[in-house]
Order: sequence, then C-alpha cells, then structure tokens
Amino acid sequence: MTAYIARRLFATLPVMAVVAVFVFFLLRLAPGDPAAIIAGEDATAESIAAVRAKLGLDRPVLEQFVIWLARLVQGDFGVSIFSNLPVTRLMAQRVEPTVALTLSTLLIAVCMAIPIGVVAAWKVRTFVDRAVMIFAVMGFAMPVFLVAYVLIYIFAVQLNWLPVQGYRPIAEGLWPFVEGLILPSVALGITYMALIARITRASMLEVLSQDYIRTANSKGLATQRVLLLHALKNAAVPIVTVIGIGIALLISGVVITETVFNIPGLGRLTVDAVLKRDYPIVQGLILVFAAVKVLINLVIDISYAFLDPRIRY
Amino acid sequence: MNVLEVRDLATHFFTLDGVVRAVDGVSFRLARGETLGIVGESGCGKSVTALSILRLIPPETGRVVGGSVLLEGQDLVKLPESDMRAIRGHRISMIFQEPMTSLNPVLTIGTQIAENVVRHTGVSWSAALDRAREMLELVKIADPRRRLQEYPHQLSGGMRQRTMIAIALSCNPQVLIADEPTTALDVTIQAQILDLMLELKEKLGTAIIMITHDLGVIAETAQRVVVMYAGRKVEEASVDQLFAQPAHPYTRGLMRAIPRLDAEAEVAGRRPRLQEIPGIVPALNQPIAGCAFAPRCPFATGRCRAERPPLIETAAGHSVACWETARVLEAAA
Repeated sequence: MTAYIARRLFATLPVMAVVAVFVFFLLRLAPGDPAAIIAGEDATAESIAAVRAKLGLDRPVLEQFVIWLARLVQGDFGVSIFSNLPVTRLMAQRVEPTVALTLSTLLIAVCMAIPIGVVAAWKVRTFVDRAVMIFAVMGFAMPVFLVAYVLIYIFAVQLNWLPVQGYRPIAEGLWPFVEGLILPSVALGITYMALIARITRASMLEVLSQDYIRTANSKGLATQRVLLLHALKNAAVPIVTVIGIGIALLISGVVITETVFNIPGLGRLTVDAVLKRDYPIVQGLILVFAAVKVLINLVIDISYAFLDPRIRY
Repeated sequence: MNVLEVRDLATHFFTLDGVVRAVDGVSFRLARGETLGIVGESGCGKSVTALSILRLIPPETGRVVGGSVLLEGQDLVKLPESDMRAIRGHRISMIFQEPMTSLNPVLTIGTQIAENVVRHTGVSWSAALDRAREMLELVKIADPRRRLQEYPHQLSGGMRQRTMIAIALSCNPQVLIADEPTTALDVTIQAQILDLMLELKEKLGTAIIMITHDLGVIAETAQRVVVMYAGRKVEEASVDQLFAQPAHPYTRGLMRAIPRLDAEAEVAGRRPRLQEIPGIVPALNQPIAGCAFAPRCPFATGRCRAERPPLIETAAGHSVACWETARVLEAAA
C-alpha cells in the first residue's frame, strides 16, 4: 500500500509537468496584451515597449518558459504584474474563504445526499422516491447563480435571517463565520447534492437486488443494518467516485459563488487575474487547482481499497 | 409433533403480464428433526415456497395471498414484520443456491456469522465471535481463527457454502431451509456438503427442508418427499415409497430423466436412452383448469383437462393428485 501511494505520488510529476506546459502556452495564445493594459489607455508605443521589456515579455517565448519553469520548481510562482506582490502571498491571503466554502459545501451536500439517496432506493417507486428524483433533476438543472439569488432573496432580504453577502474569517468568531457560509454553501451544494443523491440511489438499487442482501434479510437483521452496513458499503465505490468528480465541478462553481456572494477567495482572484491578463497569477492558480484535483483522485483511488477488500494495489 | 406446518399456501406475483400463481395451494408438514425434500423442475414454485415461509418475497413484486405457515402453531403469515425478523435466522434459517454471491463481499466472515448471533441472542460481540469460531470448526473449516478475519473472495465455493451453513445454524434453529444448497458446487464438494448437513442435523436436531431438482440429493438426504409441479403439490410420499412406486406421471417422468450408470443397466447390455418429459411447464399467468400436467401427460383424458384432481391417499403416507392413478400404476407393473 505504501509503495503504491509512493508510486502514485511520483506519477503525478509528469501530469503536473504537462499541465504546466499547457498553462504557459495557452495563456500566450490567448488574445490581449498585458503590457498594453498596464501602460494605460493613452500610452504611447514606446511606453508599452518599456513595460514589456520590464516584464520580460519581449524575450522569446521559449526563454520565458524556461525562466518561469526554473523558478516554479523552487516554489516561486512569480510576481503579480499589477500589484507587484508575490503570487504565493496573494494566493495564501485568499485560500481560507475558498477552502471553507468548498469544505462546507461538501459537508452539506454529502450529509444530505447520501441519506436521501439511500431512502429513495429503499422506498423505490413510492412517493418519497419520486420526490427525491424530482428534486435531483431540478437541482441538477438549475444554475448556481439562480439558486444563489433566490436564496438571498428569501433568507437574507425577506426573512433577514442571514447576511446577504460577504465573508467573515473564522478568526472573527465561529457564528459570524458559519452564518456567512450557509447561503453560498447551499447554493453551490444543490447541484452537487442532486448528483450524489442520484448516484447513491442508483448504486443502492443495484446492490439491494443482490443475493447477499437477501441473505442479510434472512438473518432477521434490522433494516438500518441491512441498508447502512450491508448495502451502503457495497454501493460506496461509485458514490465516492462521483464525490471526487464533483470536487472538480465545485472549483468552477466556486468562481461563480464567490462572485455572487462577494467572497474574497481564490475564485474571485482567478476571475480578476484573467480579466487583467495577470499571467503569473493565472498560471499559479491553474497549477494549484490541477494539483488539488490530482491529489483528490489519488485519495479516491486509495479509498477504494478500504471500501472493497477485493481491491488491492 | 410437527414443528412446521404449511397449509394451502398461495403466493402470487403481480406482473405486467398478469398475476403469476407461483405457489397455488401447497400444504405439507415437517416433523421435528425430519428432512423433507421438495423436488420439481425450475419454475415449479419450490424456491418461492421457501421464501414465502420466511416472508422474504420482495413486497413490490409479490406476496403470500392465502394459506398459513404454522411454526409450532403460530401463524407466521399474520405476524408483524418485527416479530418475523426475530424468527428469521433464529428459529428458521435458510441457505441459498449460490454460495458465490450469497455472502457479503465487503464484510468479514466473522462479522457475517457473529452479527446473526448478536441479533438473536444479545451476547457481546466478542462472545459472538467466539461462537462464530466454534461454528466454523463445526462445519470443518480449517484454521477458523484466521478465516474469521477473511473476506468471502478468499474462500472457495465449498467453503463459502460451509460458511453459509455456519451462519444458518449459529443460533440453533428449529428449521433449516436449504434451497438447492449443492447445485452450484462440484460433484465431490456436493457430497461433502450433503454429508455435513446430515451430520449436523443429527447433532443439533434441526429439521430440514431440502429443496432441489435432483432426485439423487433427495434419495441421499430426505425421509419424505413433496413433488411440486406448476405451483402445486402433485405427490407426497416417503422416500422409499416414492422411489419404489412413483404414482404421478410427472414423478415417473422425472425418474426416467435420471441417467443410470449402475450395474443393472450394464448387465442388461444396454444403457437406456434418457427420456425427457415432452412439452414445457405451463405459463402460470393464466388460470389452469384441470391438472397442470395434462398437456404433457401420456395418460391424460378429457377429465384431466377439465377438472383439477384432488390429492388422494393411495397408501399410508403416500398421496397423489391424479385422476388416472390406477392406469399409471398398472402401466408400471
């Protein structure tokens, strides 16, 4: 197992290298000139050229790439073109809200979706099951921003229970922190919840028709034990897979949610950096997101071995 | 004294093609410590009978629509589900045909035995694991302490069926229902499993309902036999009576379909061709007037097709549902 994990970690290096190459060249191919943006609207050709030389953008692309890569492996993501601050520091400042939002979304979605998926499978073809499926289809079809504005209108504007937008760091107290996260997490989590609930239901339905479930029932075990131990543990592999895929979806959802709720996280940093062509920031963020994604895949692959004893690496 | 009595049991499935009468008025008794064989071809309702006794028919597909199942006089059909759960695995246990899929692949053998013990006797988990180890010894699995930690995929088919037997007998049930317990196993393993079941039956005094399509298994294990056809009981007799003088044309057909390799056939200088029973089992989604076997029966008359034959006792403990018994026995003699 340890050898497997080491091997997989090692295998992430070429993946990350490929990501790095793509990130660098795709940005260079995108239209728009950062030097022109920095120099301002009434800049002369000379001042634009001066800015370009200062940023090193006048050198051959390949040379730029080598310099960038050499710094990258030393943990240096470069300096923001606009604020002149190190990219790592900018990202560190924005990490807490995004991690908090992602984790609370995951928590809400998984804790709601798995029980309702299990109940829907158990009560298949009943009213409960149909209600869950309708929710799942609608939840999956509604865009995050729509859900977000509806939730804000009801719970913040009309009922005045929760703040309309904004983020309070956890250092300012637990309740203000949690209060600000509830609406964005629910808005972002609904799609995700719908997805996991559907997969849980489908996976459970397949398992519940297996012979070993009949065996479990022939022992007179309590329904909870049959559903949650005998069935859910067998149904877990596809569910965990979808949770993993969902985390990738969450990253794009975070960008929208942070914008709607005015949360100063990595999603907002991404949008701002892209609009301003702040290459070093965009490159750094994409690399970080890709690394997170690769690590999550690894964690999921390893979790299979714990869920199903027949899987051994 | 009968430990289990099934009276006029009827189980129907409600499908898009209409009501399927899988079990259509079946009655039998099981004495304490007895082995009763139920035999018939695929689709005759023998497995559904077994599942109906334990009320394990998935309610969204079918249910017991009539009759009663008396366990020491208590009618299981009328029992609330929670009381029924206390009986399953405790007073009546079941082992299934497919040992490869009947055990949960993600739980250890120890867990799967011990949970039954904890459920029905309320002992601690560690005491239940001790009991599980005892049971594995009883079913002759070597190195039981190690096996407790293992998962089903680490066991062979024969060992898995032994494990199923260990689970089923872990709470000393009064009745063990074995639904084709050896069908999926190699022939050598089949004999081992049957021997084991008979040995444990003697040791523990459990009554067994042995469901099979294999008359050889019946001959080796059972004292009495019920022959089922199209959801009905067509003949019941002691094993000796049934093999000496099968009275129903269907039973006779089943016997002729057993390959014979014995000395008698060799001496005669010819190995008789295997005889199949012509025709197919009737569809059960239409009501059957008369005898269900009539379309395939060489003795059938107009009356057979019109009127359902009642069960008639031809000898002590031997009953048969056939209008033409006299002719059938005459033809055999």
